[in-house]
Amino acid sequence: MTTTLDVRKPAPLWFLPATFLFALLSLSLALFLGVADVAPSDIIAVLTGHGSAEARSIIMEIRLPRILTGILAGVHFAVAGLLLQTITRNPLADPSIMGVSQGATLSVTIFLVFTVYIEDPGSNTLAAIPVEWLPAVGMLGGLVAGGIIYLLAFRRDLGPLRITLCGIAVGAVLHALAIGLIAGWGSARIEVLLEWLSGSLYARSWEHAVFLLPFTIAGLAVLPLIRRSLELLRFEAPVARSFGLSYRRQFSIVLLLSCGLASSAVGAVGPVVFVGLVVPHLARFLAGRHFALVLPLTVALGAIVVTLSDLVGRLAGQADEIPIGVVTAICGVPVLVAFLRKTP
Amino acid sequence: MNMGRSSAKTALVVIVAAILIIAGGLLVGAKPLAPQAALKVLFFPDGKIDSILVWTLRLPRSLAAFVAGAGLGVSGYLLQVLTRNPLAGPGLTGVTSGAVAPIVFCFVFLPWFSSVFYPLVGMAGGLAAAFVTFWISRGGRGRPLHLALGGISVSLFLGAITTYILLLSGTQAPSLLFWLTGGLQGRSWTQLAYMLPWVVAGLGGALAVHRAIGLLMLNEEAAAGMGLRLELWKPLLLLLAVLPVAGIAPVAGPVAFVGLAAPHIARLLKPGGPRSSIALTAALGGLILVAADVIARSIAIPQELPVSIVTALIGGPVFVYLVQRRSVSF
Repeated sequence: MTTTLDVRKPAPLWFLPATFLFALLSLSLALFLGVADVAPSDIIAVLTGHGSAEARSIIMEIRLPRILTGILAGVHFAVAGLLLQTITRNPLADPSIMGVSQGATLSVTIFLVFTVYIEDPGSNTLAAIPVEWLPAVGMLGGLVAGGIIYLLAFRRDLGPLRITLCGIAVGAVLHALAIGLIAGWGSARIEVLLEWLSGSLYARSWEHAVFLLPFTIAGLAVLPLIRRSLELLRFEAPVARSFGLSYRRQFSIVLLLSCGLASSAVGAVGPVVFVGLVVPHLARFLAGRHFALVLPLTVALGAIVVTLSDLVGRLAGQADEIPIGVVTAICGVPVLVAFLRKTP
Repeated sequence: MNMGRSSAKTALVVIVAAILIIAGGLLVGAKPLAPQAALKVLFFPDGKIDSILVWTLRLPRSLAAFVAGAGLGVSGYLLQVLTRNPLAGPGLTGVTSGAVAPIVFCFVFLPWFSSVFYPLVGMAGGLAAAFVTFWISRGGRGRPLHLALGGISVSLFLGAITTYILLLSGTQAPSLLFWLTGGLQGRSWTQLAYMLPWVVAGLGGALAVHRAIGLLMLNEEAAAGMGLRLELWKPLLLLLAVLPVAGIAPVAGPVAFVGLAAPHIARLLKPGGPRSSIALTAALGGLILVAADVIARSIAIPQELPVSIVTALIGGPVFVYLVQRRSVSF
């Protein structure tokens, strides 16, 4: 019995700072590399407040807001995935599998289709997307999807696996509705909707980052408060109750938080799949027995994964960049398949 | 025998209901027809507008919907037998997205490639995707959750690739997207003839091997004990399950949930044996899709809804109901 405990080496404590250092490194990598060639000296000059107007506009108005939006979204997805995996006690839960992303997709699609028709009929210009509303609208849809899953789950007191399957069904229905809506009514804006639907950081401005930031701050601020219930929610409901946890209330709070985080990010960057699935596993793998480290590591790794995937998509596609959702799907599926084959 | 006769009656009732819906579907649409007028042009086509409405727009379209629904139902039935999993269907095993992704690829990047071969491409893709899903879920013998998660991740993966191809396709995107939502708008006799052989092959094949299916439904050990060569029959049944989807996908796109729901509704009607279950499933699948298609084209006149919205709204609750039943163990 003792050997099973000794197999996992305790993670050294320098792991956390090292990961954050790596996050900084990937941020600067994403800043320095790109399709448009900007000399490193120019970039440093821009960052210290000098530099040519051209380099300044590329760095400050294109690359930096895009990277920051990506980092925020990555943190959102990763934390949402961790929360969902904890409460469903299913290592394969993810906002995009559980139907939360699809709920946000549907609400944003409805919103975009209607605002286009009301504000700007008959025009093909793409300038008028109401960016400031997207995270909030996405969150509304995600919360509705989460509420449906919650009602289904607790009406019959379902086990975690049934909740996951209900989530898959809800997601499929909502996704069909969204796609149908786009095909039926969105033809004037089909490319924008498609780009958004595949999960993209293309042309994300400071506005996207600024309007997503309040959601990030609110979500991360709640996390320390629910740490204890998170630890208990990992157990079966009767066990958790015997520790004095009001199971249903804490479950709803965590589900709500997770839906809010995931769907507001979907509003800003579209449904980026698999980040919420893979990152918590990586974090758990690195943290080993130190459960307290899992959460901060998830935050850092979420930022890293999204930044690097976006960089890969930008560099690999050159002028036609590959949307980040495609990159994460292609990288994430093998990881998921490996996990599926490993879990009995 | 009694059981067989009663389920034959049930299948007949279902088919009659489908015919009635097809007949009703002739009347509704952007230009409603009076019953007498519809009947008149149905038997004496005169080449005027009413006759065109009935003979080249509404009738072939409804027939195509029936055939596609029947094919999807059979496919779902076979997949559920193979995996012994009530949640299996062309959607959840990745077969549909496996058929769609390579067809989209050929459409966008190989325009010289004749669409006659699309079913073959779709079949190869569907089989490959099904194999990956089955490999993940250990040949369907793992827990149902594995199959569901394996299938959904295969679908998400292929969906991401499909979306990327759509982005690269530029001006073709809207027409491709409408096809991708699954719909029968503007489908006529040509498309019906195009997919009919594939569906007939799947349905006829399934009916022909109903004895093997009956043995497989017991359990694999028993089937092997009765002298059934599993290593031969399981791939054959998988092929039969993919055939209809491969034929339907190029015409109607991915239609969600019909393949999942039809076998379960058929089971509620208590068919006698595999043969009558297959017949009943096919009839019910056809009925569902015909009804969904009539609803899709008449509910928001003059706009037309993609049929998948309707089938998802019908099939989603069925799925949730199945998941909530206690008899299915996870």
